[in-house]
Parts: sequence; structure tokens; C-alpha cells
Amino acid sequence: MEVLIQTLVSGLLIGGIYALIGIGMSLIMGVMKIINLAHGQLMMVAMYITYVLFEALGLDPYFSLFIAMPCLFVLGAVIQKFLLNPLLKVDSILPENQVLMTVGVGMVLTEVIRFIFHSDYKSVKTSYSSSAIYMGEISFNVPMVAAFGLALVLTAALFFFLLKTDLGKSVRATAQNTDAALLMGINAQWITVLTYGLGSALVAAAGTLLLPIYYLFPDIGGPFTLKAFVITMLGGMGSTVGAILGGIVLGIAESLGATYISMMLKDAVAMVIFLLVLIFLPGGLKTLTKV
Amino acid sequence: MKSSLWPFLIVLALIALFPVAVTSEYYRHIFIISLMWVVIGSSWNLLAGYTGQVSFGHAIFFGTGAYTAGLCMTKLGISAWWGMLLGGPISLLVGLVIGWICFRLRGPYFALATIAIGEIFRLVTTDWRSLTEGMEGILIIQTFRSKLPYYYLAFGLAILCTFGIYRVMKSKWGYYFVAIREDQDVAEHIGISAFRYKSLSLMISSFFTGTAGAFYMNYMAFIDPHVVFSLHDISIMAILVAIIGGVGTMWGPAVGAFIMVWLQETFRSAFFGLMPRWVSEAHVLVFGLLVIFVIRYLANGIIGDWPKIKRLWSKDRELSYSSSGN
Amino acid sequence: MKKTLGLLACLAAIVGLLAPGVSAQETIKVGIILPLTGAQAAFGEIEKNSFEMALEEINAAGGIKGKKLELIFEDDTGKPEVARSAAEKLINKDKVVMLGGGYGSSETFAIAGVAQQSRMPFLVNTGSADKITEQKWDYVFRLNPPASDYPGGLESFLTEVVKPKTAAILYEDSNFGTSSSQSFEETCERLGIKVLVKEGYSKGGVDFKPLLVKVKQANPDLIYMISYVMDAALLMNQSMELRLMPKLFVGGGAGFTMPEFQKNAGKAANMVFSATLWYQTLPYPGAKEYFDKYVNKHGKETEYHGAEAHAAAVVIADTLKRAKSLSPDDLRQALSETDVKTVFGPVKFTAYEKMTNQNKLPTYLVQWIDGKLELVWPKDVASKPYVFPIDWEKIWK
Repeated sequence: MEVLIQTLVSGLLIGGIYALIGIGMSLIMGVMKIINLAHGQLMMVAMYITYVLFEALGLDPYFSLFIAMPCLFVLGAVIQKFLLNPLLKVDSILPENQVLMTVGVGMVLTEVIRFIFHSDYKSVKTSYSSSAIYMGEISFNVPMVAAFGLALVLTAALFFFLLKTDLGKSVRATAQNTDAALLMGINAQWITVLTYGLGSALVAAAGTLLLPIYYLFPDIGGPFTLKAFVITMLGGMGSTVGAILGGIVLGIAESLGATYISMMLKDAVAMVIFLLVLIFLPGGLKTLTKV
Repeated sequence: MKSSLWPFLIVLALIALFPVAVTSEYYRHIFIISLMWVVIGSSWNLLAGYTGQVSFGHAIFFGTGAYTAGLCMTKLGISAWWGMLLGGPISLLVGLVIGWICFRLRGPYFALATIAIGEIFRLVTTDWRSLTEGMEGILIIQTFRSKLPYYYLAFGLAILCTFGIYRVMKSKWGYYFVAIREDQDVAEHIGISAFRYKSLSLMISSFFTGTAGAFYMNYMAFIDPHVVFSLHDISIMAILVAIIGGVGTMWGPAVGAFIMVWLQETFRSAFFGLMPRWVSEAHVLVFGLLVIFVIRYLANGIIGDWPKIKRLWSKDRELSYSSSGN
Repeated sequence: MKKTLGLLACLAAIVGLLAPGVSAQETIKVGIILPLTGAQAAFGEIEKNSFEMALEEINAAGGIKGKKLELIFEDDTGKPEVARSAAEKLINKDKVVMLGGGYGSSETFAIAGVAQQSRMPFLVNTGSADKITEQKWDYVFRLNPPASDYPGGLESFLTEVVKPKTAAILYEDSNFGTSSSQSFEETCERLGIKVLVKEGYSKGGVDFKPLLVKVKQANPDLIYMISYVMDAALLMNQSMELRLMPKLFVGGGAGFTMPEFQKNAGKAANMVFSATLWYQTLPYPGAKEYFDKYVNKHGKETEYHGAEAHAAAVVIADTLKRAKSLSPDDLRQALSETDVKTVFGPVKFTAYEKMTNQNKLPTYLVQWIDGKLELVWPKDVASKPYVFPIDWEKIWK
């Protein structure tokens, strides 16, 4: 019984971080229908920024959040404005050019970082990295609980932004129907820039929160991009609540898979879920709720 | 008509005679790898460039072909060369199943599904040690010490593949593929069974990719799940080869294959030893920059946007007036 | 202007193709393949530095019968297909007379295949999967112990001191991890230890708790882990978090002996044992000097991988000196007759169990005690006495 509870707890907590990784991509995919294969690499850049701030200034990752997020917002906006938006105008045989551009961007980000920092593992050790709260025999890892909490806060903030503010409504309008939005006077180009920036900032937060409990190397991005996809599809593109649910479902499914099937196949579990969702529930969990 | 055939035949002859003129096994090796990528890139192009189904999982077929050949050796005790005959058909069957599962998905969803299946193949192959030796991989001894037989085998495969795709595209099937790419619903309405022709396209594509995989096993003599089922090194590379060369063109992937492989090796070896070491470390960076550049400015690839390149290159400004403003 | 640029580019390419390797005076060239970039770059760096240190010493002492020894390093980036290409380049383009290096087991295996086929003597100094020397390849030699010998030093410690009844084996699903786990399982069978849990994991995981909580429930006396550095640190951190307290934790080498492990696991690294192949206080000639010289020159510590590299350079030089000529067969013959003492230990190739051309060396046990890695077993070479039994409550306060 203890095994089951600990597994569920672990899955839940890591689900929080996953949700934060996924929510940025959900937004980007929902608004712009772009498959952002550079998502993990953006997170990686944020992690390096956090690392540098920690090493050079001793700045705690939780404070670095306030620097990493804006930085990535700018980076994302620049990428969207100069590299992705222009593609919309180009007439090419396949519409998948945007995806491949993100592949190129991801590669360049990874290699530039590798050039500067080399490939060896870096890490940030804080005093609370390994601390845990105990309820009976079950341990709750403190940084993960904090990340979970922050994920909820950020999701709520995003939810509020999208639903209640004018800008947020413009974003949703552009997502629903770009042409109609243009007719209504919304500067769709600018909205896409904002959205990509926002998505990048969110994944930056995830990275910053992940760093104390994991480690860092240039190639860290790839697997997390895949996870982001699973969560986006699971939760439904563009759905904030969906991303949280998706993250948690993925986290728990992986944990259960690791404990009861095998640790080696836990990533396969994620992929199978992904496939099933794609085929049978294309709208994601969001279609099961109203949000 | 005949005159336009000459440059093509000359290039073919040059490639055929290359290993006779250049006896360095190192350069022969790079050519062999380029020829292999001609096959993979052209196959991908058939499914994606011509039929519009962008697969991000071609490693599935490559790896299946490679492991078919490898397992011939480890499980059946027969030569891995049998894999060259079996790899194609088995990959074709895998393609059939994958099409059945995934063709109901359109565009980006199809792409994502292929990523997922590719990863599943990789993870299962790693875990199923009793069948595949897992991460220990399969090692065989190369049959030939010289690279010459492998060169001509790869060359033959490349010719077979490109010629085969050429014939297919010239036939009615080719029309149907493009029709599906342009607008699947309209195509269905005029009586083209999207599912059937997408499957046919995939079957041909996976057949050749699988055979290339079997070739890889026989030539490189070592495979493991991370090498042959790699999302980045196989699936995405196939896409880039076709994109850089020109999707939806006949020779685009072939040109792209040679450019990508040579560019990578040139930088990885720091211009064959002529430049300092840090150049080698930048080889993937150069790759990424090239991808960004080509997609941004030459979205139809080098072959597809050849007129554009010609215009930029020539000093003849008059030409740009008569252009269609691309 | 653009046309000339284009022409120049083509010319450069042609020159690059046809220009032979630029070499000034007469040197004897040996190719060394290591992971200089990629995830294992840290190890590649330690080995390259050690090779270069030894090279300096060798050439300063007169080189090979008056000629200078030249080591050409190639980067396998941690991938076997790149390792294979690198080997082919060294053999065909650079025309080396011998190959050395070989860090990752998959890469080493791929290089060995090429070497055997091309009749190029290859001295492996780190790749440890048993398979590498079990193929009866007469051109492949290995001076480091195979993975199955790693827990050798641990064995007597277990039978004499710990006497565990049960064990759990956790391993990374790489070539090294998988083969090490097999051999340790066989060791346990031999010693009458029951293996309660044996599980592999893919490296790069964030959360090992599902795995560890299973182990905690099984409650083994001994937990044996085979991982590279970062996974090792996470495993120990999370074990500490879950209050998983077996009688002892033992690492199977690799990640557990690196200084980065201690840095990242902090408190959780304390009292963890590990199998190791070498330690600087062992009574091998030059061991301590090599260690001190490395620390002085590079500002950080070295460990068994570095010692292996240094020894490899020495064996290569010794072989080249003794060989009747630089032909592959004469070099192979000379290599097989090697009988030399190095900082890593004595090197003499024999055949045992299923292996051929394999150097047989004892292995040792180290333990992290208060932030320092100490040699603790066998007792007669220990730098500090071992700490056992372990009061985890106190250590993890």
C-alpha cells in the first residue's frame, strides 16, 4: 500500500512540473497551430540562465524566475517575429515548414549553449534540493511541492489573462479564427509574437523550477519536448486547465508504469498514451469538460 | 529532350567512376553514406513531398530493416545479407500497419503520431533484450574488406529507388498522390481512395527505407536501438535532406543527401584537417543555421528554388523584372 | 565577384580532397578514440589529459628509438557509428600504426570490429563489456578489467565482513550497465545472496522514486547500483529522501567514483561504497606521482579512467619499442608479449574464462568518507579503515 501511495505522490508532484512544461506548448499550438519542436531547448536556455545567475551571483532559482521568464519571453518573441512569422507568407509545398524551422532553431540554441558551456553536466545545489516533508512514511519533496504550487499559480494567472483581459481575449480570438480576428481589428501578427513569447516564458519557469532537483546539459531539451506534446494533446490544445490535468495524468501514468511495469518502459507508456489520445480522443481531455 | 539527359548521365557516370579514381576508403565511405541518404530522403519525399503525409518517424522503417538483417545473423544464424531481401518487405508490412493506425490523422497530428511510434519502437527494442540484445547492439563482421562492393551496392540501391519513384510519379499513382497532397477531401470526392493511395505511397517509401536499413547493418556492421531508431539522426535527418534539396522534386532529395552528408563531414573533420579543432565542434551548429537559412529563404529547397538561386547569383538584373516577384 | 567566390569555394574543396595529411618530421602515429564531446566528455577529457601527460614523458625520454611518438585524437562523440568512422579515418587517412582509447562499451565494440577486420592492433583501455574480448579477435587487446571483474574486490568484503543475505541491483540500460548487472547477478548466485529486485532504467530520468520505493519494500541488505554520475547522484539523493536504509549501498564504478558524484549528492554520497579499478595509494610504480602531477597540472583530481589512459600510452610506447617492425603482425606479436608495470598496475595479456588478450587485475573497494573517496578494502592497501555497519539516521541528519 505504501508503494502505491508513494508512487501516486511522486507522479502527482512531477505532474506539476510537466504541466508547466506543457502549458506553454498548449498555448502555442492552440493559437498558432505550430508544432514547436524547440520547446525543450527554450527550457534548456532558461535553465542555463538560472545556472549562471546561481554560480555568478548566488541567486536562488526562485528569484531567477523573475529574470529567466522575461528573458525567454523576449527570445521567444524574437524567434516568432523574425523566423516564424515570415514563413506564413511563403508559398511552399508543405505547410510543415514552421515545424522544421523550429527544429533548426532548437539545434542552433543547443549548439550555441554547447559551445559556451560544453557538454558536461552542470547542476545547482541549493540547501533545500533534497529536503522533504514527511507524512508518515510518505515523502513529499519540497522543491517539487513548490514547483507544483507555482504551476497552479501560473496556470490560474494564465487562465485569468485569457478569459478576463482584452489582450487575452484577442489571443483566444486569433486561436479560434485568425481571419475573423483580423477583420475585428486584431493585429494577428503581434498576437502570435506575444503568444510564442508567453509560451517560452512559461516553459522557462518550468526549467528554473526543475533545476534544483535535476541537472543540466545541452541536450536536455528533447525528451521534455516530447512530454510537452503528450500533455498538450492529452489536455487539449489551448486549454489551461487541460494542461494541468494532462501533466498530472502523465506524471501519474509514468510513475505507475515505472513501479508496476518497468522503469525502462516508462517513456514508452507516455508514448502509448499519446498515441491513444491522438487516435481516440483528438480534442483531449478538454472535450470531456467544458473549459 | 535528349540534350537535357546528358548532364544527368554525366553525373551518374562520375559517381560510378568515383571509387575507381579515388581509392581512399575514407572518401568512399562518405559517398556510400551519401548514397544511402539518397534512398532514405527520396523515400521520405515520396510519402511527404508528393503525397503530403509528413512523417517524423522514418527511423521506424530504417531500424526495422536494420534489425531484420541483424536478427538474421543472431537469431537465424544466416548471413545478414538476407536482410537486404527481407528488410524491405518487412518494413513494408510495418508501414501497412502504421498507415492503418495513423492515416485517419491529418497533417500535424499524423506527424506527431509518427514521432510517438518511432519512440515506442526505440524503447521497446532497447528493453526487449532477449530478442534484440538491447543496448549491447548487434555486431557482425563485414563480408568485404574493401569498400568497393558496398559502394556499388549503395549506388545500385540509389538508382533503383530513384528510378522506381520516378516511374511511380509518372504513372497514374503519381497523379493520385499529388491530388491527395493538394486537397485530400476533393480527391476523395472525385473517387480517389485516400486511404488506399496513402498506404501505397507509404509502402513504397517504407520498402526502400527498410532496405537502406538492412544495407546499413551489413555495411556499418554495428547497430543498436539508439543508432537506428534515432528521432534526430534518422527521422529528422531524412526530412532535412529532402527539405534542403527540395521537397516534391525528383532530384531534390538526392542533391540534399550529398549536401548534408558532405557538409556535416567537412565541418566535423574541420575541413579535413585543414582548420583548427573548434570548427569541428561547430558542425551541428552550421547544420542548424543552414536549416534555418534554407527554410527562411529557400523554402522549396535548392532544386525547388533553383530559379531563385540562379537569379541571385547572376549579375543580370534584367531577369528580376520579369520574375513573378518571388 | 560572386562567380569568383564560388570558384574559390570549389577550389578549396578540391584542395581539401586531394591534400595529403600535413606532417612535418618523422613521427610514429597512433590513433586514440575518445568521447571528447558529448555526455561523456568529462571522462574523455581526463583520459586525453593523461595520455598527453604520458606522451610528454615518453618523448622526453627519447621517444621510440629516437623517433617521436604522435597521438592523433579523434572524437567519437559517444556514438558507436561515429567511433567506427573515426577508426576508419585513422586507419585509412592518417595511416596510424595502432589504435588506442575506447571509452564507451558500444563505441569500443564498434572500433574493435573495424580494427580486427583491418588487421590494426587495438589496445582498449576503458570499454569494459565482457563481449569485447570474448570474440577471439587476435588484434584486440584490453588492459583494463572487464565489467564482470569490477565487483571482485567487493566479493571478499561481502563474504568476510558484511555477509548480506539479499540484494537489489539497479542498472542503467546501457551496454556497460546491462552487462555489469548480469555479472553481479551471477556473483550473487555464487555467494548465496538472493537477488530480490533487478531493474534497469533509462538514463536521464528525473524521478527514481517509483523504482526506489519498490526496493524499499523488498528491504534488501545490499543495494548495488551501476550508473553514470548524474543518475548516481539522483539515486542517492532520492534514496535519502525516501529513507531507504539497506546495510550498505555499493556503486559499480563509473559514476560513483567521480568527484562530481560527491558534489551533486552531497550528504547523500557519504558512506557509499563503490567498486573501483584503481586508487592513487596502491603500490604501483608511479601511481602517486601520476596523481599528484595531474592535480598540479589540471587543478582537479584524476581517477581510474585517467590511470588507464596513462598506462595505455606506456604500453603502446613499450610495444612500439620492442616490435621488430611497424607491420601489423609484428606489432600484434609485440603487444601480445607485453609484460610491463604501469601506474594502473602490471600489464600482461592472458586468456581466462571466455576472454583472450585480456589483462587480469584485482579490483578494489572505495568508500566516500566525509567528502573524500578512500580506499577501504583489501585492508592491507587501505588508505582509511572502512565504516561498517552504517547508522544512516546519524549520517543523514
